[in-house]
Amino acid sequence: MKDMIRLLRLFATERLWIAGGFLLALATILANFGLLALAGWFLAASGLVGLASYAAQNVFNFFTPAAFVRFFATLRVLGRYAGRIVDHEATFRQLADLRSFLYARLEPLAPAGLAGDRSGDLLSRLVADIDRLGDVYLRVFAPFAVAACASLVMAGTLAFFVPWAGLALFAGLALAGLAVPAASLALGARPSREVVAIRNAMRADIVDAVQGMAELLTYNAAPAMEARIGAANDRLIGCEARLAALAGLGAGASLLIANATMGAALLIGLLLAVSHRLSGADVPLLALGALAAFEAVAPLPQAFQLFGGMAESAGRVFAIADRPPPVREPAQSPARPASLEIALSNVRLRYAPDAPWALDGLSLTIRKGEHVTILGRSGAGKTSLVNLLLRFAEYEEGSATLGGIELRAIRGDDVRSLFAVVSQRSHLFAGSIRDNLRIARPDADDNVLWRALEAAELAAFVRAAPEGLDQPIGEGAARLSGGEARRLALARAFLRDTPFLVLDEPTEGLDPLTEASLREDLARLARGRTVITITHRLAFIAPEERVILLEAGRVAEEGKFASLRTHGRIVPRLARMQEDLIHL
Amino acid sequence: MPALSSLHLDRRLIDAARPARAGLRAAIGLGLAGGLLVILQALLLARIVNGVVFRHQSLRAVMPALIWLFALFILRAALTFLSEIAAHRAAAAVKTALRRALLSRIVTLGPAYAAGERSADLAATLTDGIEALEPFLARYLPQRALIALVPLAILATLFPIDWASGLVLAVSGPLIPLFMVFVGQQAEAINQRQWRQLLSMSAHLLDAVQGITTLKLFGRAREEIALIAQISDEYRRTTMASLRVAFLTSAVLEFFASLAIALVAVIFGARLLHGHAHFFAAFLVLLLVPEFFLPLRTLATHYHARMSALAAARRIFEVLDTVPASHRGTAVPPSGPIALSCRALEAGYEPGRPILRGIDCDFPAGRMSAIVGRSGAGKSSLAAAILGFIAPGEGTILVNGAPLAAFDRETWWRRLAYVPQTPRIFAGTIAENLRLARPDADEAALSAACRRALLLDVIESLPQGFATRLGEGGIGLSGGEIQRLALARAFLKDAPLLILDEATAHLDLETEALVAEAIADLVRGRTSILIAHRLATVRRADQILVMEAGHIAERGTHESLLARNGAYAALLKAVALPA
Repeated sequence: MKDMIRLLRLFATERLWIAGGFLLALATILANFGLLALAGWFLAASGLVGLASYAAQNVFNFFTPAAFVRFFATLRVLGRYAGRIVDHEATFRQLADLRSFLYARLEPLAPAGLAGDRSGDLLSRLVADIDRLGDVYLRVFAPFAVAACASLVMAGTLAFFVPWAGLALFAGLALAGLAVPAASLALGARPSREVVAIRNAMRADIVDAVQGMAELLTYNAAPAMEARIGAANDRLIGCEARLAALAGLGAGASLLIANATMGAALLIGLLLAVSHRLSGADVPLLALGALAAFEAVAPLPQAFQLFGGMAESAGRVFAIADRPPPVREPAQSPARPASLEIALSNVRLRYAPDAPWALDGLSLTIRKGEHVTILGRSGAGKTSLVNLLLRFAEYEEGSATLGGIELRAIRGDDVRSLFAVVSQRSHLFAGSIRDNLRIARPDADDNVLWRALEAAELAAFVRAAPEGLDQPIGEGAARLSGGEARRLALARAFLRDTPFLVLDEPTEGLDPLTEASLREDLARLARGRTVITITHRLAFIAPEERVILLEAGRVAEEGKFASLRTHGRIVPRLARMQEDLIHL
Repeated sequence: MPALSSLHLDRRLIDAARPARAGLRAAIGLGLAGGLLVILQALLLARIVNGVVFRHQSLRAVMPALIWLFALFILRAALTFLSEIAAHRAAAAVKTALRRALLSRIVTLGPAYAAGERSADLAATLTDGIEALEPFLARYLPQRALIALVPLAILATLFPIDWASGLVLAVSGPLIPLFMVFVGQQAEAINQRQWRQLLSMSAHLLDAVQGITTLKLFGRAREEIALIAQISDEYRRTTMASLRVAFLTSAVLEFFASLAIALVAVIFGARLLHGHAHFFAAFLVLLLVPEFFLPLRTLATHYHARMSALAAARRIFEVLDTVPASHRGTAVPPSGPIALSCRALEAGYEPGRPILRGIDCDFPAGRMSAIVGRSGAGKSSLAAAILGFIAPGEGTILVNGAPLAAFDRETWWRRLAYVPQTPRIFAGTIAENLRLARPDADEAALSAACRRALLLDVIESLPQGFATRLGEGGIGLSGGEIQRLALARAFLKDAPLLILDEATAHLDLETEALVAEAIADLVRGRTSILIAHRLATVRRADQILVMEAGHIAERGTHESLLARNGAYAALLKAVALPA
């Protein structure tokens, strides 16, 4: 509930649209109520006057009620049309607000603050949550608010004629709008949970079956899997049947309540009319008004049902949004350091207060223009070292300086502006080749882009593409081969003239020949820069290159590769193992 | 494949709903009965009010009608309940039938069809796609039958009582669908475009969110916040422009319904005032006019259900219409050691586009063969042909001299073990994942297989051992552990033929060494075909086949091929010797 209220507060900027949508929805419902109640009264009154004397006919004001009937009918049509437009406008605006909110909150977290919980899943789930929450006002808040206000007005109107009829209507609306949906929600809670559980299990089996089909077939296990999915389907249908019965019960109960309320209003009216305490013309007004009023509570069962899921979505979004950023940013950076030497001394870094140290007393120096290769098995601290240098993760102890200035004192963006990074995780966006290149340099003209493509040996490919630089590359670069995608990321790095270059397994996952040709381009990119190469492979390290081997978050071995290979403690063993494990 | 039109899809979905016909008929019948009861209720209501107010009857005189009225309320509630159940039954029957048919067709089409980028789409179709049919079957279809039936019944009631209003409704009734089609055609196009835009909106957010780190690296992350707001804003503006037209459809309905009520009130009011009409008739018309338009309005609210159901149906029928190409032999493969040969083999995933072109090679019994080559050279296709996932277009594969195509596929698979490049871990326990290979294996056999796959230590270190759950809701295994689990499965199956696609992903050196050691153990004594990615594996092979562009460019042992100084030597030079 707290999350939902917080959500409402987020929407405060759109309050004019929200108010407009609310008023129009209210007007539409009241117009229908007025139209039917008035029409009922008008017919009966006209009929009664028609039976009376000619004089009475002359006194009867025909035109005012007739005008109101036309007014209500028009209000109804216009209100519904305008209401839908305003509602959607409000929804889109809220969606935009939510999207900006989510992105703005994720930005300081990425990547270290988001790692750990299978971030691909997490992110697509969050985006789905945002999509769902875009509807929260339209389908949850607005129906409740409109129903509450409309119910009060309509019951009050009937009460103005006959207090008891108003009371009956209020009771009926409360029953049909609150009690019935709440009861069916409570009764349906267990089968709903079961449906979700079965559906998830079945989905997992189906994904297994489709993606693991070769194994299922060759292990002759496909029939068993089909039977298993079939059984899950049957259990699912069984649970859904219970929910359908509940839904039917709810719909039946609502209909019964609406009709019974109308019947009660009718009875009350008849009793009073028979004893001449009420004009006969008011009887159809009471009955039709009571019946029309139930339009106000019709969307409430759905609102009840959506509420739980939306509250969960809101909870998930806020849980991420409220995470503290891993790095605290200073307000201002000092002047750019004159020397560009990296010096770490006894650095300790971890991702949570109770997590093990990812860097545990790391000390090393990287001089300007040096080419250094960082080795180590996964978990040794290679990625954490990069996170430290790029200000993606905060160090708790020790000192890390860039040109003598403590990293902590420099703004993250200013640190990162000194680095170009090429890694297998470099993200390519769904736009065109030009869009992707311009991320590195928004103001670059086509000549500059082509030069970068030439350097990355991708120019011929782009020239051959039907739309050239405007060629769309698809979601997740689906329209590029692995090698082309890596080259595009490389071209982006060429566009960035930075003193530091980080190569984080930039050729991982490519076939060996593509990899070999990419290596030459990387060597060209590296020229004249300080280069930090992260790898767990030794095959391509030049003998004179400086190598730092990490283990458990600190330096285990350090020196020229040639000498480590012969005199080192760990490197020779790794080299021997690797020779056989060279990838073809 | 020709695009399936909406109309055609409608028809096929209704055909597919044949098993649910009884349920659908029941739902329609109950809906119609409900509609008739509404008319009856209006008649009673009009009679009661007319009796007391105009004919000055006592309450006692209208009491029977009142009792009937309340009885009707209960009956209508019961019908609502029953029609909900009938509709669900009908939908459930169709969903079950289609899900089973779809799954079994996908299994028949095999991994050559289902693997790769299509797999996610197929899985989505089997789950959400099938579910999307429910509202269409349970709500839209019954309602579509009612839009004609209920208004007709209302007209039949009204004509004898007041022919003038009957005529007005009779004329305006058909006008609405006509006008709706007119506006709707435009609206549907707009609607679909808007739907796609909405999807691309969230796709864009996902893209931006997934690329946050890259944007930060380029110092562009904060600008993206403004960009997201700006793009959302543009989407909103274009979408709203089209929605303003789309919403006209419902406005038309609303217009007719409200207009009709207002007309009835004003015109009948005047007639009543001058004594030209009876209140009973006037009141009855007023009560029935909203009901006349109600079925159409209800149908309009289910219109989205139809659109998403048709989109799902399009994908479902595309799969069901795909004819499996593979053969269905019945012969039983030999039971001893297996020797394979390919003769002038041509095969591919689509007819007329062979990937393998004229493969001639032998895989001697009990020997290990390594296939190497660049990606796209046809290594996996050759494995797929031997596995029977793709059928040869030309040429044959011989098993101990007999053509593979003559064998029963299921029995052939019993004779081999297949380890793919990225093995699948199925949702379930470690033991269940292992028993895939041999359902009756006891714990000792599982332990033995895991010991040889160098995985036993890992499993024994887990608190629940073999009963540890993997996948959905369970623990995750590391890449090296997954590979060794797949090897343990192959050990457990102990088949005479092994087809193994070595993993390309780089692991820790120690882990890679473990995997390599287990593979070396596994190939011993079997006819083994390895798509090899590691030098150590290739060196140990009895023969190496070098593939290039769908044919075998070179064959021999490591030494003989190196001496030859051809494609293999060039490959080694490119990858193994630093520049």
